[in-house]
Amino acid sequence: MKKILGFLIAAALLLSVVGCQQPAPKEWDIPFLNSLTGAIASIGEYLEWGAERAAKEINDAGGIKGKPVKIVPVDTALDPQKGSTEMARLVKNTLVALGPVPEPVIMAAMPIAVEAGMPSITASTSLEYAQKFFPWTVSWLPSTQDRLAPLVAAWAKQFGDMKQVVQFVENYGPWPGMADAHAAGLAGLGIKMLDKVEVPSDAVTFGPLVVKALSEKPDGIVFACKPASAAKLIKELKSRGWKKMDHLLLFSSADAPDLYTTGGKDLDGAQIYNYINPDIDNPRWDAFKKAYGDAHGGQEPPSLSTNYYDAVYMIKDAIEKTGVTGLPGKLKQERKMIADYMANVQGFHGIMFDWDMKDGVPTNKPSFIFKIQDAKKVLVQEVK
Amino acid sequence: MPLELYYFLSITAVNILLSWALYLPYRVAHLHFITVANMAISGYAAAWLVMSLHVPFGWALLAGFVLGGLIGWLVSLFIGDAPTFAVVIVGFTFIFIARTVIENTPAVGGSMGIFGLPNIGGSPETHRATIMAILAAMLLLVGFLLHRFEHSRLGRAASAIFVDKDLAASLGVDIRGLGRLLQTVSCTIAGGTGVLYGFIYKSFHLDFFTFGLVGIAMTIIFVGGYSTPWGTVVLAPILYGVPLLFPPAIQEWRIVIYGAALVLVLVLKPEGFVTRRFVVSVESFLSGATRKKR
Amino acid sequence: MMQELIAQVVNGLSLGSIYVLLVTGFNLLLLVAMIIHFSYPQVVVFSMYVSWVVLRLTGDNLLLGVLAGVVSSVVINLLSAPLFQKVMQKRGEVDINATMVLSMGIGMIITDVLSHSFNEGLPVAFPDSLSSNTPIVRLGLISIQTGQVWSLGVGIVAVALFFLLLYRTRPGRAFRAIAEDPNGARLVGIPLLRTGLYSYALTGVLGGIIAVLLAMLLGSATPGLGEQVAHKVLAVSIIAGLGNLVGGLVVGLLLGVLEAIVQGYVSGSWSNAIAFVIMLVVILVRPKGLFGTRL
Repeated sequence: MKKILGFLIAAALLLSVVGCQQPAPKEWDIPFLNSLTGAIASIGEYLEWGAERAAKEINDAGGIKGKPVKIVPVDTALDPQKGSTEMARLVKNTLVALGPVPEPVIMAAMPIAVEAGMPSITASTSLEYAQKFFPWTVSWLPSTQDRLAPLVAAWAKQFGDMKQVVQFVENYGPWPGMADAHAAGLAGLGIKMLDKVEVPSDAVTFGPLVVKALSEKPDGIVFACKPASAAKLIKELKSRGWKKMDHLLLFSSADAPDLYTTGGKDLDGAQIYNYINPDIDNPRWDAFKKAYGDAHGGQEPPSLSTNYYDAVYMIKDAIEKTGVTGLPGKLKQERKMIADYMANVQGFHGIMFDWDMKDGVPTNKPSFIFKIQDAKKVLVQEVK
Repeated sequence: MPLELYYFLSITAVNILLSWALYLPYRVAHLHFITVANMAISGYAAAWLVMSLHVPFGWALLAGFVLGGLIGWLVSLFIGDAPTFAVVIVGFTFIFIARTVIENTPAVGGSMGIFGLPNIGGSPETHRATIMAILAAMLLLVGFLLHRFEHSRLGRAASAIFVDKDLAASLGVDIRGLGRLLQTVSCTIAGGTGVLYGFIYKSFHLDFFTFGLVGIAMTIIFVGGYSTPWGTVVLAPILYGVPLLFPPAIQEWRIVIYGAALVLVLVLKPEGFVTRRFVVSVESFLSGATRKKR
Repeated sequence: MMQELIAQVVNGLSLGSIYVLLVTGFNLLLLVAMIIHFSYPQVVVFSMYVSWVVLRLTGDNLLLGVLAGVVSSVVINLLSAPLFQKVMQKRGEVDINATMVLSMGIGMIITDVLSHSFNEGLPVAFPDSLSSNTPIVRLGLISIQTGQVWSLGVGIVAVALFFLLLYRTRPGRAFRAIAEDPNGARLVGIPLLRTGLYSYALTGVLGGIIAVLLAMLLGSATPGLGEQVAHKVLAVSIIAGLGNLVGGLVVGLLLGVLEAIVQGYVSGSWSNAIAFVIMLVVILVRPKGLFGTRL
């Protein structure tokens, strides 16, 4: 009996030692939980494209610590059921992941990553969602209140005639909170915020909403609603005689291809704020823009297309600068190292600018106001 | 139990319970989509009780069942014997109302949703074990009740209503009473299921309860077979599980495959894969085998 | 104040005309084929997409674009006809319910195909030559556009024409006869196949015209557009009384005006809930619809 017990203990020890010494994988697999099918598949496509582009660049330059990086697309199809099951499968062996996308899938799947202690970068959502899953994700966007109020104030300051403003708001995720931040920015300038005009998420025609807004006689209008809805509201405003196009401000979430395909020339002159500036002059961005155009029939990269590109580089930096080995035996410890690095990275070289993180929140990302012209954004001002 | 297996089994159980909740009123030809609205209402209410009033999970779950049943009963007072299409519209109405009320109620997170539901029993392991145990118990209990119902006078009365309401009425079937009973039971099941659904994810978001969920349940019922409750049990894991194994190129067309399956089955095998005749033959085979043993 | 109210009523009539067009097509299918085509709006949206593709390929040739919309709608109708006919062979209530489920399956397929295969899932915009948003009348807040006039006009004319066709002409009676009782219709000498094909083709033509009118009125389409309105189209049909063409016209317009008034004076985010609650009350009080079922 003793012999058998001794043999079993020895076997167990041997197995555990062998387990610890499992070799590191030959490549860095980074799963990306993304909505590649379903209603927002078009967004999922360019998020994926950005991540793949970064991986290709990194591999062309020798990989991460000499090993290639591979983005593994995992389609969650906008379905919380699928998202949670896929995340549960991944957390067993994955060092770090990208996604999930969008908010309903984040809410279903991120608690699983948090429980397993696996970092997963949700680079397409707002701070309000991301912070619920700290420290196992980081926010790609700064605080809504801190950033949006000065942005909207900077827009309003351009015009001396801005006395009262109306706002179109759709009740989705963080958008009502963003609308409140817009209102706070205008209140700081003594501009009166008129009634919110609520945009139903399944609105088909927009005449009733526009008549309601115009009946308040606003000097300016802010849009916090879906891109296609914002475009249709602007078309409707123009058809009812709205002339002061620069007195229209669209929020960053409207800056998506749907806006431009739906709005076309009718958007010309309207202003929009966002966190990236497509006009910057930098070889890395120029190459990105060209490659994106080549792959998408000459289109400009949408504003979110760089988020997961930068996220892949942030993972690369984390692995290289913290000495992560990828050894399965060190999975738990190295996940923590990556999460800690990302939460407080200093001087990260993003494709457009360098930025710092403090406790998972970017502290010095710039923001910009643009004018829309021919479905392109032309810089009006940078807002510090 | 491996984590992915837990999620697969628990979500499959939710899909079966939701499909059963839809199946039950469909026995009297009522497509009662209010079940999805009830999942959301009870789920959010239970989450609010746990998060804001610190009510223990068990009581919150009970409240979810009761709330679901209460709404179902109240509505059934009006539409217990309504035509199918009126019942369909009532269901859609409740989905719209539930969504609107929830997204405008800050106490339940409004449009953001509810985050960070606590682990039942304190640890993730006990949480998962409890959820699985409750779901298993619900499946057994509801399955048993459905089995009894199918072999009861009520089940036969429901079949009569399904085929011909006038004939059923002339045979003395209480159409309104049976409709009310089935709608109330259906909503009670849906209420409890909604609570468990959110607690599996440990969060609630309005988009957990969309018309897409109605589509999944409809496909499960009609492809699995709408004339017995057992087709649902076979099809729910297949419909949810098999696409997970598909290569990405095929996964991309998952919804088209669901839709095509629904269309093809309705055209080629209208009763679905598991038919009443099949179930009867299985049951008689089993009872024959039992008799032989004796 | 008065101007705003008039503007909102005009807006409501414009929105209502969308419901009228779709519910007329929906009711027509019910009358001539006895099917509950819940996803009829998705079929119309599919035709809008086909129109858009042809417009792009032909450098915005309006005639070809309109033709493509009509032809695609007819083709889809004719292709789905045998499926529906197979499902409701016995003409029982159960079979009619099954046509609704079958239609939901078709709707799932169409919406997903549109989000995969057209314009990378992005909305499609129609050229200004088809959907100009320049108003023909503008008086303060009141604005009337070409698409609105056409949609409302065609909606009213379509209801009148189909009413006359179905209830006052021999071919119309033949359509209804084969929908209700194919065997009886055969006995009295109605050619089943030919008349059946005509009825599906006719509803297809109407679907194509609706697609073009929606393109004019809305100026763009998304894969989810059909789903967005399908619930309301079914609700309007039920509240008016299934198969009641005139009822559909009245209730469709009323629903549009109701939504516009709620969005304009009460709350945008509550407009769906309020509209559906009012419809719910009507259904509970009059389960066979305000104008009675015409089947």
